Amino acid sequence: MPQRPKLLTREVLPFFGSFAALALFALAFDGLLHLFDLLWIGRWLGIPGTLLIIGSTVYSLRKRKLIQRGQPAKLLRWHEWLAWLGSLLVLVHAGVHFNAILGWLAVWAMLINVGSGLTGKFLLDRARKRMEEARRRMRDRGLSEGELEDRLYWDSMTFDVVKQWRAVHFPITLAFSVLATAHIVAIFLFWGWK
Amino acid sequence: MKKRPLLLIVIALNLLILVALAFVYPHLMVSPGPLVKGHAELATDCFACHSAWRGASSSRCTECHVTAEVGLKTTKGVPIPSRTVKVSFHQELLEQDCMACHSDHQGPKLTKSSRKPFSHGLLKVAVRDTCSSCHAAPKDTVHRDLQIECSKCHESKAWNPAHFDHALLAKAELDRCESCHNAPTDRLHRQFQGGCKSCHKTDAWKPATFDHNKFFVLDRDHEATCETCHKNNDYSRYTCYGCHEHSEAKVRQEHIEEGIQNFQNCVECHRDPRVEPEKHGGRERSGRKKD
Repeated sequence: MPQRPKLLTREVLPFFGSFAALALFALAFDGLLHLFDLLWIGRWLGIPGTLLIIGSTVYSLRKRKLIQRGQPAKLLRWHEWLAWLGSLLVLVHAGVHFNAILGWLAVWAMLINVGSGLTGKFLLDRARKRMEEARRRMRDRGLSEGELEDRLYWDSMTFDVVKQWRAVHFPITLAFSVLATAHIVAIFLFWGWK
Repeated sequence: MKKRPLLLIVIALNLLILVALAFVYPHLMVSPGPLVKGHAELATDCFACHSAWRGASSSRCTECHVTAEVGLKTTKGVPIPSRTVKVSFHQELLEQDCMACHSDHQGPKLTKSSRKPFSHGLLKVAVRDTCSSCHAAPKDTVHRDLQIECSKCHESKAWNPAHFDHALLAKAELDRCESCHNAPTDRLHRQFQGGCKSCHKTDAWKPATFDHNKFFVLDRDHEATCETCHKNNDYSRYTCYGCHEHSEAKVRQEHIEEGIQNFQNCVECHRDPRVEPEKHGGRERSGRKKD
């Protein structure tokens, strides 16, 4: 029972908090642009937003060993922040009330991608905590065979969940990438940088 | 793990279909908003106005809308019977930049304000200075007899706010405030026969240069607060019974004794407390024993 408040404050709230903060910041930013009649800024925010999201994929390349440089743990933190910030800018950009279906689909795919990313962060943090706890217990006191077996089972389950999540996160990212690319190509095809 | 390639293929196929739809239905998938009514038939032909990677260009517009014929002939070459206001300036623009004013895609209502309004700066100076080439002067009392250019009072960006200067008016017109302004109908203003200028200036209604001495002289014995005589800040009325000196009973008694029946409007006779009223005018108080 005492675990429940910890679960809420340490895991559930940060997860929903990140998503809610994204929505609230986007609404506030969009509101300010409308208030001061600066919608043209919103139109251009798609570019830095996209660049930030592209920058965040350095971690994905490192994880798949397509690049060899950089500490994965550090790059993961950058991945989380850059993707969140880039999504915020794209969301404000989208808040300038576009009409095209392709743009809508790209934004929804991005939001699902952000939700998926936050789920991955949540699962990974939980797995890390369980591993650290297990390691500490094993170090501090000797575990009985049954307890150790039980703990390792749960750890392996956690890792399986992370693996399964990766299998879902990739197609979502793929869908987002294709839709966003299609939207960007369409814009550059018809837009004249004015 | 075996299911993943199949899943990816299904996703990839769906995405391909979506991208293909962008080519088949560009007005739904890509267009930022429906085209204006006159261009509705071009909805699926994006390249009728857009050049690939360079956006919409004025040269594409003028292929159909010949600048020299704007307002005179339709794009089909049919003459327009009545001369439209478009003729006044489309031929007189400094440069042909259609997109500076026009956006054929009508965005959602909330984005309307982001569209560029017409800028008078795009006009040649001669046309810009002749407002009447496009605008008709208002026929109201303020503008009816004016012979001056609009720019003396109005900015080109918006009609309001205007910076009206009374000095621009002819002397005869300047003295007839009521030809443009309605006089206030409160009791204070109703009794005035003189022009507004006796109290007000032309640059602003307030502050008014009201001379209280014209109605009642505030001498040393009457250095009271306004509220003493004008109750509830109503300056259109007054009372002389607001202080201890003048009670209604006492005033009545004194006036009845002298055979004065009509004593309700005190300032009619007592305009200056230093002067004792007589039948016609007044004489110095020193000539009579003080009350």
